[in-house]
Amino acid sequence: MQYKDYYAILGLARGANDEEIKRAYRKLARKYHPDVSKEPGAEEKFKEVAEAYQTLKDPDKRTAYDQLGAHRSGEEFRPPPDWQQQWKGSFGEAPFAAEQMDLADLFAHLGAGVRSGARRAMPGQDFEISVPITVEEAYGGTEINLDLNMPEYDEHGQLRRVPHAFKARIPKGATDGQRLRIPGKGGRGLNGGRNGDLYLDIALRAHPLYRAAGHDLYIDLPLAPWEAVLGTAVEVPTPAGRVRLKIPAGTQAGQHLRLPRRGLPKPKGGQGDLYAIVQIVVPSVAGEPERALYQQLAAASAFDPRAHLAQEAGHAG
Amino acid sequence: MRVELTEVTWLEEHVLSFAELAELSGLPRAVLEELIQAGAIAPVEHPSADQSVDRDAADEGAHRDRELEAHYGAAALAAARHARRLREDFELDASALLLVLGLCDRVSELEARLTQLQARLPRRAR
Repeated sequence: MQYKDYYAILGLARGANDEEIKRAYRKLARKYHPDVSKEPGAEEKFKEVAEAYQTLKDPDKRTAYDQLGAHRSGEEFRPPPDWQQQWKGSFGEAPFAAEQMDLADLFAHLGAGVRSGARRAMPGQDFEISVPITVEEAYGGTEINLDLNMPEYDEHGQLRRVPHAFKARIPKGATDGQRLRIPGKGGRGLNGGRNGDLYLDIALRAHPLYRAAGHDLYIDLPLAPWEAVLGTAVEVPTPAGRVRLKIPAGTQAGQHLRLPRRGLPKPKGGQGDLYAIVQIVVPSVAGEPERALYQQLAAASAFDPRAHLAQEAGHAG
Repeated sequence: MRVELTEVTWLEEHVLSFAELAELSGLPRAVLEELIQAGAIAPVEHPSADQSVDRDAADEGAHRDRELEAHYGAAALAAARHARRLREDFELDASALLLVLGLCDRVSELEARLTQLQARLPRRAR
């Protein structure tokens, strides 16, 4: 198995006392806990920190860890036979297969034997993973492939990392932040304990066109000034395909044109809406005939877009 | 390696008892009860009028029974699992746990509101 330097992970010297270990853990937990941290990779980092703390805060586990000796981080090693002999009792009836385990599994199970009696029913571990899906996948439902490595006891009572691969069908209507539970697909329970569950956290990937809020979708709809003034009909993409949208005369920038039930489907039936947000855009370079027409328009129009500003100024003065 | 197809369960459609909620979240029952009493975890069918009823000592037992009979949904399970993680990882007592849960709720409400507002902003304006 690969060696992990738990002291280095917590930023401590090997001789650190209990108080220092606790202080270092608290500081790092505040920084990296996935529930409070927005740092990239925080979750992985926190797992390491928590693993180090779980072992070093327990006097027995710390002694066992220290007796493994200091190695380089990531170095392949095996616990020496006399170490295995000495700590064997602490693992209850579950001998270990060092090749398939990692250090976290080893220390998570150390102590289980002494304290609780070997035959106590232990529920399997729950797993929670983030599943990024696209807007199209949320719209139509999708199948995802999951590959997970879970610590499990085999028929000989040996603890191993077992790869699990399965497909899960994500029903249509899943949206950002929703959770799905797959009962019994977490780690296997021990001595009659229930199997753990697998939780999927749905995260919507950013889409080049649509922005999602709940089951509603928003899309920008750029219009030329004359289209907004005169009204027109335009084609708008939706997850179900393009639709024709009537633009009424006198449409303003920022206006939300609602396309009912063109958003994401809801799990219990019904559908969110799609909103086209009007933007009025002008050509950055206007050709000569266009300029002439605009000049004609400027001369003919009585429209004052800043009438309210003039009024305000009048009041103030 | 065997690959199996699994149907997933919408947490939203699943209703749990108090005992199931305790088991699935991994929270000790006493802690879970405390969180429910403080309103940090709410059952699906629990008339809120009940909460405001004056509770004297005689009523306490009946209130507790109602709590144990109540049903809990996806939001309760997510909240309870969240609470269990925070409690273990930060070694929090009940009052600190309630405070943190309350703040986390506010942060998620604000984040949801922000996402909604950002979705309404034209892309160029951001």
